Amino acid sequence: MSANTARCPMGHGTTELPEQAESRPTHVGGVQHSGAKEVPVVNWLQPAQLLADPYGSYARLRTEAPVAWVPMLNKFLVTSYAGCHEIEQDQSIFNANVSGSTMNRAIGAHPMLRKDDPEHATDRLAVNPVLRPKNIKEAWAEVFARNADIYLDELEDVGPDNADLNRDYAAPLAAKNLGDLVGLKDVDVQTVRTWSHDFIAGIGNVLDDPEIWRRCEASTEQADALINELIPHYQLHPNASMLSAWANSGLPDANIAANVKLSISGGMNEPQHMVTNIVWALSNHPDQREQVLADPTGWTAVFDEAVRWLSPIGMYPRETTVDTVLEGVRIPAGSGIAVVVAAANHDPAQFGENAEDFDISRPKKSHLAFGAGVHLCAGHWAAKSAIGQIAVPKAYERFPGLRIEESRPGQWAGWVFRGLTSLPVTWN
Amino acid sequence: MPSITFTQPDGTAQRLEVEQGTTLMRAAVSNGIDGIVGECGGQAMCATCHVYIRPEYADALPELGADEDEMLDCTAAERTERSRLGCQISTGASLPEIIVDIPAGQV
Repeated sequence: MSANTARCPMGHGTTELPEQAESRPTHVGGVQHSGAKEVPVVNWLQPAQLLADPYGSYARLRTEAPVAWVPMLNKFLVTSYAGCHEIEQDQSIFNANVSGSTMNRAIGAHPMLRKDDPEHATDRLAVNPVLRPKNIKEAWAEVFARNADIYLDELEDVGPDNADLNRDYAAPLAAKNLGDLVGLKDVDVQTVRTWSHDFIAGIGNVLDDPEIWRRCEASTEQADALINELIPHYQLHPNASMLSAWANSGLPDANIAANVKLSISGGMNEPQHMVTNIVWALSNHPDQREQVLADPTGWTAVFDEAVRWLSPIGMYPRETTVDTVLEGVRIPAGSGIAVVVAAANHDPAQFGENAEDFDISRPKKSHLAFGAGVHLCAGHWAAKSAIGQIAVPKAYERFPGLRIEESRPGQWAGWVFRGLTSLPVTWN
Repeated sequence: MPSITFTQPDGTAQRLEVEQGTTLMRAAVSNGIDGIVGECGGQAMCATCHVYIRPEYADALPELGADEDEMLDCTAAERTERSRLGCQISTGASLPEIIVDIPAGQV
C-alpha cells in the first residue's frame, strides 16, 4: 500500500503540530519531595460539592495533595496527571481486580475491566478487532448515522420550545447505538437503558442500598437469558457486532456474559454525556462553535477537547498489590486507589496554565479521559465516530443555530460519573 | 542484553539495554523516553507508539500485521515506509539491537 495516502477512518492523521517535550514543573505546597513523605490526609472534601461541581475541589487537591488519603472515601485520591498516568503503566502494582468490587456484584460476574493480564487480555483481544477504526467505519458508521437521523426526527417533532437534547436525542441515541454495536438484536431501547442504569447504579452503590442490588439482580437475570440465546445464534450467523466476536472466540459463556454486561454498563452514559457536553461547551464558546461549523475537519479536535475538559468518567478504582511510593507518598499494599482522571485532565503540569479552559486549538497532548494502558476504553474509536464525527455534527447540520436554551437551565450531576441529566436546547 | 536506541526529532539519542523480549513501546514507557505514549498498553488499539525504523534493521523485523497496518493509518505524524508501532516489535535473538527515530507527535 502507499504509505503516504492512507487515511485514518476516524479523521485522525498527520498534524503539523509537533508535541513539545515539556518538563514537569515542581509542585507547590511542599508535597513533592525526592524521598517518601508522610501521607497527606484530606478531610475537607464535601460530598455535596463534589456532586455539584468537583473541579474546584480537584484544583485544590492537585495543588495541596495530589496523592492524598481521604478517610471519607477510604481511598487514596490521585489527582495529578503524572500520578494517574504512572498508575496505569503498572498493573502488577496497581491492580484492576479490586477487593469488594461493586461492579462485579452489580453485573453478577467478573468482567475484563476488573481483571489484570493475562486473564484480561484473553477477554479483551477477542473484541478489539470489532472496535478498531476500520471496522467501526466500514460496519458501523452507517448504522450510527441512520440512528442519529431517527432521533433527530424525534427532536424536531418536540420542537425548539420544548426540546431537551439529553432526553430527546442523546439518551435514546446512545442506547440504540450501543444495542446495535454490542449485538443485542431486537432488544428495545428502553430495555437497554434500564439495564444500563441498573448496572451503573450498582457500580456506584457504595452505600449498599438493597433496592439497587435487587434491581441489578433483575436486570442481570434478563440480560443473561438474552445473552445465552444470542451466543449460539451468532455462532451460526456471525456479524460485525461485539457479541458475535466474543461468541466465536472460544471463550467460556460466563466470560462472554460478563463482558457483554460490562459493555452495557459502560457504553451508554458516556457517549450520551458526550453529546450534551459538546453542545454545552460550544454554546458557551460561540467563537469556537463558529470555527468548527466553518471547518468541519475541526470536529475531531472538538470531541477530543470536550472529553478532556468534561470527562464523563471522573474516577475509577485500583488497588495496590505491594507497598509502594507514588509521587513521593507511601502507599501500603492493599490500599484502595481512586484514579481521578477528570482532575488529571485539568492538570496545568500537563496541559499548561489554561488547563481549566475549553480550547479546541490547544496543543495536542495525551489525556486520560479514556483511561490509559491495557484498560484504555475499548469503545474509544466507536465513541469518536458515533458521537464526535456523526451524532453532534449531524445535529448542527439539522438545526442551524442549535444552542442551549438559557431560560430552561440544564442540570449537571455526579463526579465519579458526571454529565448533564437534562439540557434544554433551542434552534433558529 | 539487547539494546534499543531512540533518536528524538532534535537528534538527541538515548540507548537502552533491555531484557530479551521487551517491546520498543514498553522499553520507552518504562524508561520515560519522551515522545512514545503507548496509550493502549500494547494492544494495537491506538497509534501512539509510532516509530520510524532505520532501514538497516528493516529485514530483521516481524512482518507488518493487519491490525498494525490499520492503526498506522491513524498516526499523528506522517506515515512512511519506515513506520511501525513500537508495541509490535520485540527485541531478542533475531533483533539484538535496533535504532529508531521518534516522530514529532503521537496524538
